Order: sequence, then C-alpha cells, then structure tokens
Amino acid sequence: MLSKVFATIAVAITGSILLYGVSDFPAFGDPHSPANAGVPGSESVSLYFIEESYKDTKVPNLVTSVLADYRGYDTMFETVVIFAAGMAIFAILRVVGNKEEEVSREPVENSFTNGDHSRIIVGTTVRIVVPVIQLFALYVVAHGHHSPGGGFQGGVILGASFIIIALAENLNAALRRLSEQNYVRLAVVGIFIYALFGVMAQVLGRNFLDYGVLAPLLFTDGPEMARSHSMLGVEVGVAFTVTAIMFAIYANLSSRGQLEKGL
Amino acid sequence: MIVTVISVVFILAGLVFFIGGAVGLIRFPDFYTRTHAAGKGDTLSSLLVILGFSIYQLHDFESFSHDWLTLLVILKLLGISAFILITSPTSTHALMDAGWEDGTKPKIHPDRPNHLNDDCEKF
Repeated sequence: MLSKVFATIAVAITGSILLYGVSDFPAFGDPHSPANAGVPGSESVSLYFIEESYKDTKVPNLVTSVLADYRGYDTMFETVVIFAAGMAIFAILRVVGNKEEEVSREPVENSFTNGDHSRIIVGTTVRIVVPVIQLFALYVVAHGHHSPGGGFQGGVILGASFIIIALAENLNAALRRLSEQNYVRLAVVGIFIYALFGVMAQVLGRNFLDYGVLAPLLFTDGPEMARSHSMLGVEVGVAFTVTAIMFAIYANLSSRGQLEKGL
Repeated sequence: MIVTVISVVFILAGLVFFIGGAVGLIRFPDFYTRTHAAGKGDTLSSLLVILGFSIYQLHDFESFSHDWLTLLVILKLLGISAFILITSPTSTHALMDAGWEDGTKPKIHPDRPNHLNDDCEKF
C-alpha cells in the first residue's frame, strides 16, 4: 500500500516535469522551428544533416550517423533505458533462494531431439537455422553504415536466436549457451564500451562522445573516418546490451523468474 | 525480354497460390485444414515469387565481371528462398503440433470413417 503511494508521487512528479518541458516546445507545425527543414535562413537541423553528414562522417546511411554520432547522448541513454528495463525485470520477477516449488533438475540433455518425437522437426530446423540467424545478426550490426541496421536491430536478432533455442528445446538449453552471469556481464560491458568511446574523447581534450579526436587511436587519416569507426564500436556496444536484455527478459518472464525449465 | 516473361510467369504462379492459401484460410472448416492451406500456400507462393524476382534480375545481364553486383542480389534472393523453404513448413508444423497438444479436434464428416479416437489413444 505504502509503495503504491510512493509510486504515485514519483509518477506525478515525473509527469509534471515532462508537462512543464512541453511548454518549451516550438509551436506545432512551425516552419521556423529547428526540427522542420525547408525555410531557407531558418536554423534547420535536418537540412544540415542531409547536406553535411556524409562530409562529416563518411557514413552513407544518414540514420546511422545521426543516431550514433550527432545524437550519441540520446542513443547512449536509450541503451541505458534498455538496461534499466532488464534490471527492473530482474527486480520484479527473479526469485532467489525460496523457490515456489522444488523443480527436479533433469539430467543435462545434449541433443535437441532427445526423447520427444514431436520435437525432431523443430529441433533440427532450429539447429540448422540458428547459426545463419546469428551470422546475419552480426552482418546487420556491422553493415549499419551502409544499409538499414545497426546495434539495436542486430542485437534484437541475436537475442532472438537464443530465444529460439529456448523455444525449441527448453530454457536450460539456452542458458547453457548464454548463462545468467554471462548475459548480465554482456549487458554491462555493452554500455561500458559505449561510455568508453565518450570518455576517451574527453581524455583527449574534447567533449564527451566527440569521436573526431580519436583518429590517432584508431589509426585513421582524419576525423571523418575516426567518427565512422567509432560509430561501429558504439553499435557493437549497443548490440551487446540489447542481446543480453532481450534474452534476460524472455528467460525471466517465461520461467516466472526461476530460470528453470521454462514453458 | 524472354527473361522478363519467364519471371512474370513465376510471379503470377506465386500469386495464384497466394490466392489459394487465402481462400483456404477463409473457407476451410477447422484449425488443421486452415493451417494446412495457409502454410502450403505461403511456402510455395513465396518461393515462386522470389524465384521470379531473381530471374528478373538477369534481364540486363551482360558479363560476369560487369554485373557481379546483380549476381550478388540473386544470391541473396536465393538465400532468402532457402530460408523460407526450411522455416515456413517448420513453423506450420509447430503450430499444428501445439494445436494437437492443446486438444484441438479436427472436424470429420459424420459419414466418413472416424479413426480420431484410435489415434488419440495411441499418442
């Protein structure tokens, strides 16, 4: 009861701050606002991105350069939000110690098709398909500079490949490949990689996440290629966190936080 | 020209099977026949349409050294079709299996021989 009161107060405070922030927005449909392109002479962010982003970063995909470079703060804290969502799932669902019912641990099964006849088809397909999915996920992460993709999308695909293993056999089979310790580590390391790129820029005397100065560290000719390569590094960090949290949410939800058999 | 015609024939054949799948999904009486129609229609028609696309990519093909990017596109399309060939029937099978384990009974015409109960005991 008391926790609900506190929750209501927290929600009310956050909501009023957000509503207060709305009053500073430009008017709806204002052609002179920075977000809207089109009127020459107005301070247009979009026009700048469209015209200059390739010269600045040498990344053909405008979305990636805006997401991982110009709005690096936003993306970094988006990753933190995903991490926080995973931690909230842990805090709410994860049962440690006193378990509801003692689940008898079955002997470790090594085959997808062990015993259950109806799972031969699904298990075999998953065994064939999962490596392809994981390879494609890495491709999506690495190819975000040139085509739709990037850390979030690739991470979701990579996380889905572990969920598919859990669906085809059981949760233990997936946890043997990505254990609880390891996925929490993976999530933290992902954010750490992202923040490292920001801090390295600070150490070299520029603003947080200003990748241009990293050129000597990344052995590139100029700041443009340094920004391009740093974006790839940042995307890898995002992919780590998203993969781990996707699988963590599935594992906890499907087994009511017990991380036993599941489904 | 001839390549375009062949690809259009493939794509149209795929669309015919798509229509078959859609009609079956609406008209068939129970879960199993509907899943069967949707699964079979989807698999074959997607394959035909994608094969049609990949054949169409050859329409201005000149030489291997000049058009290797076209070949790359064809390779990717064939990869997609191989993926569909494996995954689509599997997902249909998994859906049917889940329905059977959940206890969904197929509809059987009263005049036809009904072995459903024998099968149920066997499982």
